[in-house]
Amino acid sequence: LLLLLSAATFVPLRLLAAQRHFEGFEDASDVVDDDDPFDSQPSIPSPSLSLSVSSPEAPSDPITPPPPSPIDASELWDEDEFEGIPITNPISSPADLDPVPVQDPSLLPADSPKPSSRPLRSYTIEIVCISFLIAFTLNYFIGRRENELIALAWASKFATKDSIFDKNFSLLGAGEHKDAPLLLKEARDVFKFWASGRRCCKGLIATLELKSRHDLISRMWEMVFMKKDTITFEVMMNDDAMDHVVLAVARRKASKAMQKETRDLQRFTSVLAWAPAGRKWVSEELAIVAESKEVTGDLITDVVLDQVFGEKAFEKFGKGFISLHFSDQYPGSHSKMLIFKFALPDAKNMADMTRLVALVPYYIDLIGHYKLSSQARSKTDAARSKAAQEAYKELQNARREALQKRKEEKRRFIDEAEAKFTVEAISKREEKERVRQSKKSKPRIKMMRSH
Amino acid sequence: MKESSASASDPRQPATAKMYVPPKVSPQDLPIDYAGFLAVVFGFAGLMFRYKLCSWLAIIFSVQAIANMKNFENDFKQISMATMFGIMGLVTSYLGPSRPAKPQS
Repeated sequence: LLLLLSAATFVPLRLLAAQRHFEGFEDASDVVDDDDPFDSQPSIPSPSLSLSVSSPEAPSDPITPPPPSPIDASELWDEDEFEGIPITNPISSPADLDPVPVQDPSLLPADSPKPSSRPLRSYTIEIVCISFLIAFTLNYFIGRRENELIALAWASKFATKDSIFDKNFSLLGAGEHKDAPLLLKEARDVFKFWASGRRCCKGLIATLELKSRHDLISRMWEMVFMKKDTITFEVMMNDDAMDHVVLAVARRKASKAMQKETRDLQRFTSVLAWAPAGRKWVSEELAIVAESKEVTGDLITDVVLDQVFGEKAFEKFGKGFISLHFSDQYPGSHSKMLIFKFALPDAKNMADMTRLVALVPYYIDLIGHYKLSSQARSKTDAARSKAAQEAYKELQNARREALQKRKEEKRRFIDEAEAKFTVEAISKREEKERVRQSKKSKPRIKMMRSH
Repeated sequence: MKESSASASDPRQPATAKMYVPPKVSPQDLPIDYAGFLAVVFGFAGLMFRYKLCSWLAIIFSVQAIANMKNFENDFKQISMATMFGIMGLVTSYLGPSRPAKPQS
């Protein structure tokens, strides 16, 4: 509706622009000013009259018009009718009598409207902007359709009948009744998919963040700053289902950035350059940031290595992999989270990411049934208790500061009151003293403490 | 990748299924709507100094803001204001009285 509204306003505007050719309204870019000073100088009514009738629009004729006032004065000065009217504003009198007399050429030619000899240059702004708006509107519908197609392609591959999610989750999609849409359209370029009803986890949100193809400006922007279509799976694990695990796997560059950004990785993990002896390990491109070596060794199982993370497998299937983040101290509403981030292939070859998506249910079960060994647990417990103490201390500092601030305010408030109070008190007291002194011997003044 | 040694029984538990509760996002930490902001700035400039280009830019940015409008009640006020500024700027610069006699820069 809004779009129609804005589209509707353009049409009249364009008409206006067209109509404007004939009325010859003054255009900012036209060089007209040499007339204006003459018109507006002598008196207000006549120039506005001439302007509205036919404002000067093309550059006026070369000979600059002789100052109008002297001619009018000599011809129009009629002794008997206008005695006493000063010469200075003869222009206004004729204007009141009748329209400007013909023989006063200087005003008219300058104002006569030139048919539309306006150079095309001065229209470029309008043409460029209107064509951009049309292109924007067209692109809006095309881009939105494209995004929807990609989201539907993903959903039809992974979320429909007997697909991987259907086999793993009993409730798919966000709607209550059966035929509710699988995908939730949060914006034109963000789609959400909800799945729930599985052991070891409360639910899973898949957020498809696509390039904003519907918006021409950001589409051009994204050509400069490459933005890929990504999908992020956030699995909320049950409290009993996840042990002390903090682990993140990403490409080398991304993993450093990740470790700095997320709080739990900063506090609990360190870069793991270690690789278990005698076993295959993740491909070179990947970097692991984890809390304990043993947990990492257990979680990066051979199956996963063969399927996705191993040297060979990663070249073939790992293209879309961005990052993997398991944490039971995840800052945010839910603390036990598994987060998988993949790049989305085109709508046609969604099948490329089947193995990556298969990681999700695999790891839900693996971590759901994984218990730490005793010594690994002792280390992680120590780290967690230290972190808990730090958090507690922070909380206390914050509370103490708040307390101090409140006390500070109260004290300042009292001081102000006292200051006000003392001024009046002093004047009142002096006056009482004077009265008392005059009556009897000076009484002992007791300084009243205000609080 | 077949289900590994974990119980071959069906992993689904319809009983534990929960409805999707969209997280409540307070209006403060919503991403800033740059398009709307730019539209207002250009609209105001276009109106005050009667620059046609600014008014046209205001219209373009407000159309972009309309296209990207996520939650209706929060953004609508700002965007409609920006559009109004833009349209008024255009109307005054096209239909209104000529510019005050400013030395042609």
